[in-house]
Amino acid sequence: MTRARCLWSRRKFLRLMGGAAGMLAAGGAGLTEGGHAVPEAAAAPGAGVKVAVASGAAPSENVARAVAALGGIKAFVSRGDVVVLKPNIGWDRTPEQAANTNPEVVVALAEMCLSAGAKEVRVFDRTCNDPRRCYVNSGIQAAVEAFAKKRGASGVVRVYHVEDRKFRRTAIPGAFALKEWDLYRDALEADKIVNVPVAKHHTLATATLGLKNMMGIMGGNRGQIHYNLSDCLVDIHRRLPTSLTVIDATRVLLRNGPSGGNLADVRALGKVFASPDVVAADVVAAERVFGWKPSDVAHIRKALDAKLGVSSPAQIRVVEA
Amino acid sequence: MSMRTFRRISQWAVFLVFVFLFLNTEYKDNDVLPYAVNVFLRLDPLVAAAAAISGRALISLVWPALVVAGLTILLGRFFCGWACPMGSLLDAVDATLFARWRRKFAVPPSWRRWKYLILVFLAGSALFTLQWVFLFDPISILIRSFAVSLFPVLNRIVHDTFGALYGTHAGPVTRLSEPAYDFLRAHFLAFEQPMFRASAPVGLLFLAILAAEYYQKRFWCRNLCPLGAFLALLGRFGLFRRRVMEDGCTRCDLCEKSCRMGAIRDDVETFHGECVGCMDCQAICPEEVIRFSGKEGRREAAVDLSRRGVLASAALGVATVPFFRVEAHRKAADPGVIRPPGALAEDEFLSRCTRCGECMRVCIANGLQPTWFEAGLEGMWSPVLVPRIGYCEYNCTLCGQVCPTGAIRRLPLPEKKKVKIGLAEIDRSRCLPWKGQSDCIVCEEHCPTANKAILMKEEKGMTIAGEARVFKRPYVDEELCIGCGICETKCPLTDRGAVYVTSRGESRAVARVS
Repeated sequence: MTRARCLWSRRKFLRLMGGAAGMLAAGGAGLTEGGHAVPEAAAAPGAGVKVAVASGAAPSENVARAVAALGGIKAFVSRGDVVVLKPNIGWDRTPEQAANTNPEVVVALAEMCLSAGAKEVRVFDRTCNDPRRCYVNSGIQAAVEAFAKKRGASGVVRVYHVEDRKFRRTAIPGAFALKEWDLYRDALEADKIVNVPVAKHHTLATATLGLKNMMGIMGGNRGQIHYNLSDCLVDIHRRLPTSLTVIDATRVLLRNGPSGGNLADVRALGKVFASPDVVAADVVAAERVFGWKPSDVAHIRKALDAKLGVSSPAQIRVVEA
Repeated sequence: MSMRTFRRISQWAVFLVFVFLFLNTEYKDNDVLPYAVNVFLRLDPLVAAAAAISGRALISLVWPALVVAGLTILLGRFFCGWACPMGSLLDAVDATLFARWRRKFAVPPSWRRWKYLILVFLAGSALFTLQWVFLFDPISILIRSFAVSLFPVLNRIVHDTFGALYGTHAGPVTRLSEPAYDFLRAHFLAFEQPMFRASAPVGLLFLAILAAEYYQKRFWCRNLCPLGAFLALLGRFGLFRRRVMEDGCTRCDLCEKSCRMGAIRDDVETFHGECVGCMDCQAICPEEVIRFSGKEGRREAAVDLSRRGVLASAALGVATVPFFRVEAHRKAADPGVIRPPGALAEDEFLSRCTRCGECMRVCIANGLQPTWFEAGLEGMWSPVLVPRIGYCEYNCTLCGQVCPTGAIRRLPLPEKKKVKIGLAEIDRSRCLPWKGQSDCIVCEEHCPTANKAILMKEEKGMTIAGEARVFKRPYVDEELCIGCGICETKCPLTDRGAVYVTSRGESRAVARVS
């Protein structure tokens, strides 16, 4: 099984390399070559990309309503898919401290993927503090494992630690800055990636949302990409487009992000944002959570300019779910 | 079942407990370790005595050592034969490796006096607050060697072997190897490959002890081990001592030849202090005339310890002390000596620290490393935080939980978070935003204190090309900084960090002994 997928991936990789020149000419349109199904809305900017916003006390219900407003999980995950569910588990912090994605949000999405017939749901993140402590104190490990056990799906829905040996040096054709980097094999080989960030303040990036969350599949010395964060974030998404972005704004860290630690910096917002287009999701969440326009957040501005998804806020249609 | 069989079962059982505890000296999703993983060190009367005498303190943690001492006084030197994991390991090495292949050179029996002389030397130093016991105590050597050297080596081998198999990407291979690797990772391997300074020399000392078996069974225990010497002295009048019913003894020599400790002379005499009660002689005696109970027929052979030798060793131990009290580091401490949170003030710390490596083994980010001479020769192999290798995890209190002698105090988490082990400093000539190279906030984003000890200030600066630009530049708030070092670990500069921690400002200088 491993072998077959692996060969497929290498072929795909070579094809990508071969297509690099053409992609350069085509600009952002080359995205569909990534192997992941890119949502129609994102592939055809201008049609009005939906961003669903759900508010309420129960995070899992917010997720359910937001995803339903986008046409339900089956619009994003097909039967037999291997899905990567990529939350933020970066910090040795509790859910109350809001530095990681809320575990209920993660579980709600795992449940949806399972109901859509996913063959495998992989939950992981490359953490900043000790991985074990982050997995435990974020509450995500326990919540996902309990859910998988309850559903008798322990072999299907798995939360596990990232291993160094599974990073693969990967070329990113047409990259602004990140010509190649070590990316996580399990994400490269997945059929779908569901991006589940938590909305937080970030001293350098201003806000960390969907675009920034995908740093968790990067290996190597990630500190170095801070030299040129905006370009690198866009580059990562060129190589690994996400099928669905669900931004957790259940609790929001408004200051001292991204790691926080002070409960006084946390505000309970009770919202979830969802969109097939990561850029659109980030634009709306930045505006509604922090009151920032795209021009305030460098990497969102960059993603718009690069036509990674929507190229202007005007193309976004916000739906209250 | 013969007593020898019981003894073998006991050795195996204790050794397995030892291995179990060693493997569990690691964070396993619990803030508090569920087992007393340091119990072997706390059972060790030599460690207890050395730490208590040189540290001038009654250490409640080491109460189990009193039990061992008491049992030894009552029964004799059984610990070495029945329980000591080092002794058991040597027996195993002996049985598997050296059973048929050894002894080109007969070790003179008189060498056994060395262990007493070493013990006396250590005592002389300890009386004057210098603690050397870490170099010679078998439990300390064993755990340190496992922690800093052998276990990491084993991990490396297993990890790289399975890594190579994984790298083949051959289905039939990885289908078998990956589940096996997952199993080993879950139960035996370290979570991440541990890396240590001094891992080779620490391991070599241990391997030398094993290699000495080539010359003699239990070479270490017979000739060098000061714990053995200490227990021999304590157990001299124990109840269970070997005796031979001479009437039935044919002087066949079997017992004397087979004795792993060389504790038998002329078949009927016993060096009682040397006998570890392994019961081999009783099991092999064809006439069945050897007993370990009763008094009749005991004949003691005395170790030829000269008074002059003992006094000279003690004097040497004492005389060594002042040489360590004039080392320059006592005048100006090395700024890199960042002690773990909860460490006692330096002198007390060194007098108690037995360099067992428990704290280094358990350190979650692999940041605690053995020193060489940064803390003086006296401080060799004591733990320091080396932030470029690993930082002190903010929510972690494990090193204080495993320290067997209280050299690192066990602190409740809220208290530990307030302990300053040093202070961070920005090197403005290297820091990217400071020198106008680029933005970077990696140190600030990782800073774990609730109100961040690293502040970013927007300031007008100049790019290298000479353009005016606003940069976010890091500053350290020395009130808030606790010196955990995560900023230095994570600083993206790959050689020296542009932010670094030194021991400046550490709070333990005023710490009270608990």
